[in-house]
Amino acid sequence: MELAYRTKRTAMQKTSQSSPSRRPDNTAYKQQQLPACRVQLTASRVLLCFFATGLSCLAMGIVLLLSAKGIQEVEINYTETCADCAALRENADNFDKECSCSIPFNIPQAMQGDVYMFYKLYGFYQNLYQYVLSRSNIQLVGTDVKHTDGCDPFATLNGTPIAPCGAIANSMFNDTIILSYNFNSSEDIKVPMLNQGIAWWTDKYVKFQNPSFNDLPSAFEGTVKPPSWSQPAYELDADTPENNGFTNDAFIVWMRTAAFPTFKKLYRRLHRTQHFTEGLPAGSYSLHITYNFPVTKFHGEKSVVLSTLTWSGGSSLFLGLAYTVTGAVTWLAFFSMMAVYVTMEKRI
Amino acid sequence: MDWQALQVSDGPKLRTIYLNQPDMNAFCKNGISTAKYSMWSFLPRYLYLQFSKTANAFFLFISILQQIPGISPTGKYTTLCPLLIILAISAIKEIIEDYNRHLADRLINTKSTVVLRQETWQSIMWEEVKVGDIVKSTDEQLMPADMVLISSSEPHVTCYIATSNLDGETNLKIRQALLETAKMQTEKELSELSGKIECEGPNCHFNSFIGTLHLNDESMIPIGPDQILLRGTQLKNTQWIIGIVIYTGSETKIMQNLVTSPLKRSEVDKVTNVQILLLFLMLLVMSLVSCLGALVWNDKYGENIWYLKNKDSKPSSFGYDLLVFIILYHNLIPISLLVTLEIVKYIQALFINWDEDMHYKEKDLYAMARTSTLNEELGQVKYLFSDKTGTLTCNIMTFKKCSIAGVIYGNQSDTNDDSTENLGQFPSPVTPSFEFNDPTLLMNLENNHPTKEYIVEFLTLLSVCHTVVPERHGKDIIYQASSPDEAALVKGAKKLGFVFKTRMPYSVTIEAMGEEFTFEILNVLEFSSNRKRMSVIVRTPMGKLKLYCKGADTVIYERLSENSLFMQETLVHMEHFAKEGLRTLCIAYADLKELEYQEWLMKYKRASTVMLDRTENLEECYDSIEKEFLLLGATAIEDRLQNGVPETITSLLNANIKIWVLTGDKPETAINIAFACKLLSSQMPRILLNTNSLEATQQAINQNCQDLGTFLGKENDLALIIDGETLNYALDSEIKRKFLSLALSCKAVLCCRVSPLQKAEIVSLVKKHVHAITLAIGDGANDVGMIQTAHVGVGISGNEGMQATNNSDYAIAQFSYLEKLLLVHGVWNYFRVTKCILYCFYKNVVLYVIELWFAFINGFSGQIIYERWCISLYNVIFTSLPPLTLGIFEQCCSQESLLRYPQLYTISQAAEIFSTQVFWFQCVHALIHSFILFWMTSKMLEHDMVLQGGHTTSYLFLGNFIYTYVVVTVCLKAGLDTLSWNKLSHLAIWGSIAIWLVFFTIYSYFWPTIPIAPEMTRQANMVMICPHFWLGFFMIPTACLIQNVMWKLIQNTYKKSFLEEIREMESRRTRDLSAPQVLTKRMEGSLPNSLSSQPCEIVFQDDSVQQNTPYGYSFSQIEGTKITQEELIRCYDTSKNQSKKHSNIDHLDVIYE
Repeated sequence: MELAYRTKRTAMQKTSQSSPSRRPDNTAYKQQQLPACRVQLTASRVLLCFFATGLSCLAMGIVLLLSAKGIQEVEINYTETCADCAALRENADNFDKECSCSIPFNIPQAMQGDVYMFYKLYGFYQNLYQYVLSRSNIQLVGTDVKHTDGCDPFATLNGTPIAPCGAIANSMFNDTIILSYNFNSSEDIKVPMLNQGIAWWTDKYVKFQNPSFNDLPSAFEGTVKPPSWSQPAYELDADTPENNGFTNDAFIVWMRTAAFPTFKKLYRRLHRTQHFTEGLPAGSYSLHITYNFPVTKFHGEKSVVLSTLTWSGGSSLFLGLAYTVTGAVTWLAFFSMMAVYVTMEKRI
Repeated sequence: MDWQALQVSDGPKLRTIYLNQPDMNAFCKNGISTAKYSMWSFLPRYLYLQFSKTANAFFLFISILQQIPGISPTGKYTTLCPLLIILAISAIKEIIEDYNRHLADRLINTKSTVVLRQETWQSIMWEEVKVGDIVKSTDEQLMPADMVLISSSEPHVTCYIATSNLDGETNLKIRQALLETAKMQTEKELSELSGKIECEGPNCHFNSFIGTLHLNDESMIPIGPDQILLRGTQLKNTQWIIGIVIYTGSETKIMQNLVTSPLKRSEVDKVTNVQILLLFLMLLVMSLVSCLGALVWNDKYGENIWYLKNKDSKPSSFGYDLLVFIILYHNLIPISLLVTLEIVKYIQALFINWDEDMHYKEKDLYAMARTSTLNEELGQVKYLFSDKTGTLTCNIMTFKKCSIAGVIYGNQSDTNDDSTENLGQFPSPVTPSFEFNDPTLLMNLENNHPTKEYIVEFLTLLSVCHTVVPERHGKDIIYQASSPDEAALVKGAKKLGFVFKTRMPYSVTIEAMGEEFTFEILNVLEFSSNRKRMSVIVRTPMGKLKLYCKGADTVIYERLSENSLFMQETLVHMEHFAKEGLRTLCIAYADLKELEYQEWLMKYKRASTVMLDRTENLEECYDSIEKEFLLLGATAIEDRLQNGVPETITSLLNANIKIWVLTGDKPETAINIAFACKLLSSQMPRILLNTNSLEATQQAINQNCQDLGTFLGKENDLALIIDGETLNYALDSEIKRKFLSLALSCKAVLCCRVSPLQKAEIVSLVKKHVHAITLAIGDGANDVGMIQTAHVGVGISGNEGMQATNNSDYAIAQFSYLEKLLLVHGVWNYFRVTKCILYCFYKNVVLYVIELWFAFINGFSGQIIYERWCISLYNVIFTSLPPLTLGIFEQCCSQESLLRYPQLYTISQAAEIFSTQVFWFQCVHALIHSFILFWMTSKMLEHDMVLQGGHTTSYLFLGNFIYTYVVVTVCLKAGLDTLSWNKLSHLAIWGSIAIWLVFFTIYSYFWPTIPIAPEMTRQANMVMICPHFWLGFFMIPTACLIQNVMWKLIQNTYKKSFLEEIREMESRRTRDLSAPQVLTKRMEGSLPNSLSSQPCEIVFQDDSVQQNTPYGYSFSQIEGTKITQEELIRCYDTSKNQSKKHSNIDHLDVIYE
């Protein structure tokens, strides 16, 4: 209705004004004549494109497969091996009883270069909504150690704020794994491992900060340790004082919640000194595990993984296979379409 | 029809206006407001309008849900913010539009006018004018309100007004004040005026007014429409007038007449709504699946999760879970779709407005999209309903050809026409070359050709036998005629040196070959559509008695004397004229004997005084003297078609659009025009339905349906011609369906002598029963009904008034612009809008179904995989540009091809590319893509050793991978959908990917400086240094899209669509200029419905079917007026001075009003 009247009026105005007011410029844009490239999916072009894609995918796939082949990985599942300890940990009352077990194993071929030790948990859902939320980033960045919003159900203990609070921190992986090398049949050498530099640099220096106090214990004053922890946050690493509190590497690694219910987390990395400058030599090794972390309760498993890495990461063949398969499928499509195309051409 | 119903309803409240007592007149103010909002009402009204849209209400509901603590996995404001952004964008659009309306209102309201206040004339603004004010207007001014005329500068207190703003009529109207008030002219007299006016309440009828004036103690004086000056009319040829304001502002008749146009929604809109509903169902299904999953998972693992001790303690009811999942997946419904479409359509409408090809340079009129909601509907039109006069024709008659004494003249100008009437893209202005232009006629006249005598007689007849009134304008003579045909003939004769100069009551003077002759007009034997002829009986300057006659060939030929010559030749010539769509008239004369005439005169006088059946008696009497004719020849008049009409119609027919002509004119004229514009051809059998009872109509329709047999319901090369009265019966509810199926079996339908209401009825009949998109085009007030009823209404602007334009959805200046509007804009817009919608659905399904896949590995806990703000910005920023460029710049093929191969129109017409089926197809594609995107990326990251230094990753790391791949895939998919890439498409596609990567980087640096998104802290660094990220970046989108490309290619190779062929041809043409003719041939063979006319093999029993070539006779003359043509011409004396002329002409107008 408004419009109707408006045009009526513009008509009135037009009669009174001699010059036309609405004069669009005759530009390519306004006349919809912008230079445009009309994409034509002609058979020859698409075929060429398919061929090239297939070729590059296959090539990439082979490169990736080859590089993944060069990786050595050893996984030792100790759920079954340490069944006794597992049974003990089923009952939460036994939390203060120590339990450990040893697992001997063999590395048939030397692991060259940097070797990383991971722990791997099966069936642990770090990606549950309530679990992922249950942390206080404000507390972890060191601004307010008593900030426990969102940490339910591990926010406070009898009214005192927990530090670090939340379900993630509370359930931190707390097995100790010691790798020994059976140098010659009698002598066991503890393989030197580093427990620092295993977290993202930015996590350690940006996202996680200790409260600014002269000494850590006083910074954590007025808070209590998470119920499942045996020692408070500022005593996580007895050997290295600066690797304590919220900036403890192992803690930071744990706090980065995994996407899958089965996940690995970096535990230690090989300190390449003495016998191990080249990596882990072939031979027999043993793992000494202090078993603290209950997994059988949720029908989970845990294992230790030793692995080397290449430029593209770990030993997964998936990416290489995916590339190869994509390449192969593309080529298959290329050939079948080529056949179709040729027959069609002939018919015409 | 509702538009008519609205016109009838009015409040019959009386109003009393006290003169010069302003305190006692309390009525509405004169300021008008056509704006939608005011400063204060904007927010509530706007919000109400927005939230009455279902989608917006849904998002508001979700935003409210999110405020419940703990329920939302995506935070509290992540839906509210994008919703606010989107509302803000469309608010800006509304504000701009409304601001313009306010400006326009202000312009009107602040116009100045002169009003009597405190006994002096004061200049005030329009909005300050009150009821009861005494207003003085001067020449050329617009009336500020509805007024009663008190006095004027003219001798008989008359004034002239132009009413074209109101009713579209171009002639001036006369108004006369009451004699009682005529003397009141000075300030003093006027301010001493006291009394009151009583009149009816405000209503919308322009031509009625009832009121009484009570002056002091004098008796009542009635006031009628003759004293009323309406707002919007313009004073002409009058120095000044004085009036008393009776209605102001919104109560004026012009404002009362603003009928709200019915809200039209496009078919695509309706389908989209259904699809949104389907998406909503999909959302519910996904939520239910997730809820069930959560139940099962909790049952299996819930009790054992020691690391989350509240997992089982918390009452996780089914309903609560359902809400959580609905919030989690709600983005499946594209929040930005509505606003994207609004922007897209707005710009599409601008493109229509800007189009230079639809710019009528003569009047400087551009096409105007008055609504933007129907842009895509233009691409789907199946039935076109067109008015005739003023739409197909210019309403200009030209004398084009003639045949005199067996010699045809005016033929060679054909070649001239063909060169000027090119494709109709750039209509050339009216040039004299269109008119009769044959020097041989004059040469024959001068060189004493054997037929000279006949030529002289012929031209004399043309300049004498008519009812035209000449009007002298300086040296020029303008012919005023009630019949444009006659005016054309007289004008034609004038050009040939037979100038009709003066009409006096009983004689006419012509100037022939330099000499003046005066013919005494003894009798005028009226034209009627029954008689199909008109004659005059004259006494020539030589004193001879002659009867001059012109009329239809059928009636003239049966009255020819045996001595008449040239019968055969003239007939051939007339057939020739008729084939070209020219209107023919036979020209003949008879010499009368004095005695015979006197006898007849007696008879005539008797007949003209008969009280009963006078018309029949008169006609019988006329008939008795119209005999023994001698044939002179025939004339051919062209009812000038608008430029490019035949080409446009051919093109539209090729585009599989059915054209129905609905006209108030006679069947002959309509058929004639249909021939001229190539809607009918001479091989086409015509079914004529012309009955006068329900039974007869029913019988005729049934008979025709029977004859058609199996051809019924299919498109045949037939034409149906029906007149208004028959149509009335045919639209009876019983035979309506039968009639419709008969009409649909014909290629062309002409409805003649139909009322405006019937026009609307026909349109609504087709609209209701055929389920096809209808378009109505017209230029006059009588087309308003059908324009409003049809799916798309198009008004021809610039001709007469604005009534049709104001009620239309699109206004164009010429019928031929319809071709570009439908075939180019319509098709483009349809492709654009549908692609944009499907793409919006696609991109949302891809991103958000991944949440469902993720739920399978996170125990259906409702965890999101992406960062929450990234989710909400997906639609608003990262993928907002590709749908816009698709919607604005996409071109399925070039404009030239669309115009050249109208068959391309059938693609959008059949709505093949936008249906529920296509929607599901798109959804399946999206599901496959989301599946590949999620599972491939997951598998890639599953082994957790992807970073250098053995650093392990988090769920958000996976999320960011997937998110990036989704953005890339979705943008590239837009690229695949884009058939025509311009620089803006490139910008949108590559730009969107870049924007995301840049945003991602910047966003990663927020925490802890800006307290948002701690989980994103420095993610970008880690993601971008991860080799897997880049390996996947190239591979995963490829893996997704390769199937689309393959699918397309298979389609193109096996079942190449028409569009593809054209596109291929285009790309080939750019390489080598030789257009492949083989292709063109093949194409024509593979047309959707072969439009080549096949010979009609149906045997018709009904005698209403004509198969011969038509007679070209048609003649327009106003009939049924109270005053006869003879009486009319008897009152003219144009030999007298100029001042007399005025009243005469106005007299004419008054009569015809």
